[in-house]
Amino acid sequence: MFLHNFKYEILHSLRVKDLIFWLILFPIVLGAFFKIAFSGIYEKTEKFSTVPIAVVESTEDKIFHSVMDSIEQSDDPLFKVTYTDEEKAMDMLKKQKVLGIIRIDGKEKSLSVSGEGIEQTIIKSFLEQYAVQEQIITDTVMTDPQNVETVVSALNSEVSSTENIPLTEGDPDPYVSYFYNLIAMVALFGSVTGLHIAMENQANLHPLGARKNCSPTPKFVSLTASLLGSFVVQAVCVIVSVSYIAFVLKIDFGSRLPLVYVSGILGGILGVSMGFMVGSFGSMKEGAKSAICMSVSMLCCFFSGLMVGNMKALVAEKAPWFNEINPAALISDTFYCLEIYSGYDRYIEKNITMAIISVIFIIIGFLLTRRKKYASL
Amino acid sequence: MEKTVVKIENLVKRYKELIALDHFSLEIKEGEIFGLLGPNGSGKTTTINCLLSLLSFDKGTVEIFGEKMTPVNYRIKKDIGVIMQNVAVFDEMTVYENIDYFCGLYITDKKVRKQYVDDAVKFVGLEDFLKFYPKKLSGGLLRRLNIACGIAHKPKLIILDEPTVAVDPQSRNKILEGIQELNKNGATIIYTSHYMEEIEQICTRIAIMDKGKKIAEGTTDQLKKMVKNTETETIEILDIPEAVMEEIRDLPHVYNASHDGNDLVISCSGGKHNLIRILQVLQKNELSFGRVYTTLPTLNDVFLEITGTELRDKED
Ligand SMILES: Nc1ncnc2c1ncn2[C@@H]1O[C@H](COP(=O)(O)OP(=O)(O)OP(=O)(O)O)[C@@H](O)[C@H]1O
Ligand SMILES: [Mg+2]
Repeated sequence: MFLHNFKYEILHSLRVKDLIFWLILFPIVLGAFFKIAFSGIYEKTEKFSTVPIAVVESTEDKIFHSVMDSIEQSDDPLFKVTYTDEEKAMDMLKKQKVLGIIRIDGKEKSLSVSGEGIEQTIIKSFLEQYAVQEQIITDTVMTDPQNVETVVSALNSEVSSTENIPLTEGDPDPYVSYFYNLIAMVALFGSVTGLHIAMENQANLHPLGARKNCSPTPKFVSLTASLLGSFVVQAVCVIVSVSYIAFVLKIDFGSRLPLVYVSGILGGILGVSMGFMVGSFGSMKEGAKSAICMSVSMLCCFFSGLMVGNMKALVAEKAPWFNEINPAALISDTFYCLEIYSGYDRYIEKNITMAIISVIFIIIGFLLTRRKKYASL
Repeated sequence: MEKTVVKIENLVKRYKELIALDHFSLEIKEGEIFGLLGPNGSGKTTTINCLLSLLSFDKGTVEIFGEKMTPVNYRIKKDIGVIMQNVAVFDEMTVYENIDYFCGLYITDKKVRKQYVDDAVKFVGLEDFLKFYPKKLSGGLLRRLNIACGIAHKPKLIILDEPTVAVDPQSRNKILEGIQELNKNGATIIYTSHYMEEIEQICTRIAIMDKGKKIAEGTTDQLKKMVKNTETETIEILDIPEAVMEEIRDLPHVYNASHDGNDLVISCSGGKHNLIRILQVLQKNELSFGRVYTTLPTLNDVFLEITGTELRDKED
């Protein structure tokens, strides 16, 4: 009975037109669109000169210091840094000798700039990105000082991507974050499949549920089989998307592509589980629940930067906890971890968080669908 | 003695204020085609859902095959086939796949299952549509698929909840014949409908429901005996003197006679030779008459007699 249900779940899911559209066609089109839009910008842009800034340290921040050093030492430095005191800095700013002042006071970093131009925005987004990745940077400097350059170049590329201005030639691909989030979106759209499973096994939500409930196949068996079946289907969709992005669009995922697949698939499982839980709640119509799943998925992706590149930085500033639980952010973060770290600690940590969230969703779903008799059909 | 297949005792089901089933009891024997007849909203579907343990109820007991029915009594569920009022099939799966899927929930042995699915396909006559998706089937064919999905595992008890709603007469007859065939092959049938003609045509025993209560039960003949009016004679006649009318009214078994337009309508209760006696009176008085016909009571009359309202829907 288990295999029978499993087999038919896969067969059934692969024929659902919505699924094919949202999980395969839509990402392909959107991916192609990203590629075209960004490669256009890529060609038009010219190189930027170094931006002069002043740093005023009320307290010493060694890590920031070493990052700045590393930036200054690179072939094509982003900043030229002058360490000075407040008074002199203000003077330099007035005389346009520097374009911005970064003040460091304990954990706080503040910024003054004069005027509004690309240089000023670059300083701003550098600080934003630095805030987002402060943890990563700190870890790297502490444990793996040789790797500071990788971090710095990642920072560079982030800064440039948020402003759509690549700063260094031969940069891997500054728009890669859009593609990361695209994969996160595909993974989360799996929620629609999860939703179907929850509905179609409940007598009070779907005629098929009533029919299945009349059969001698225990609910637990058919639910588990369906869930596993849709995990497989979801995995296939994620694999298609990642392969397409990596091999057709030629977006560089670095050397650890297999692990991109792994966390993408895990993300897909998270998506299905989310839908399964939503489907188990209340007695709303399928259309309404479907809409909820889609919009929640989209919203998560939005906050992790699918539509607006520096959204994640904003969230990191305003509500850092949200990035830790936002499924889309988690999924795209695993890809960053692979790109930035040589070690696996953070990557594994993010994956474990995803697994835990999936398990919680599934347990809630099972608890809600456990009921065998209904008060009303 | 025949075995009792279904035994429902004092079932009470409330939906908030509304009492959908009010101390409803039922006993169905092996081999019967049991009809549950009642107007829309009388509680037929509710009864079925309680019987299947899909719906919780407030009071009462349900036994099937002599065992208490519970949602996890899979031994009982194995032998039941259910065809619900709403069509429940997967739109993304073909006719064959649908039947195979549902059969597979009951039958694990692949060879047996294949045989059973083929039998079911043949039974509902969908051989030419195996590769069709449900969306491409006409209403009648879809209903037949729905039935095939419910009976492919050859259950001993088959429950059909209004399987002929929105089906054209030809398809309907096919379905009804099919049900009788299933019964001949040994299945006990529970059939709900608000079409009394269907119920009369195939059911061996009938319960009439209204507002969650069982208001009558028995074979068609038994039920019809419950009404006073067992025979209505209609005679085409242009004019009839009042004296002759009186003479007719005085005949045995006649309890009402009226002349309405060109028709003389006489209601008789029981007895034999009613028509002959009436015609003899007319002949004796040298009255000439045209068409003569007798109508027997319908289940509608039974319903009318007990509840004072018509069973028929306006839509029929
Ligand atoms: N989920 C529900 N919540 C509240 N009331 C309900 C619910 N389901 C049914 N009812 C009410 O219970 C009564 C019995 O309904 P039921 O569906 O059993 O009737 P039925 O005989 O099957 O009618 P039909 O011929 O239309 O199928 C009706 O008055 C109906 O309005
Ligand atoms: Mg009904």
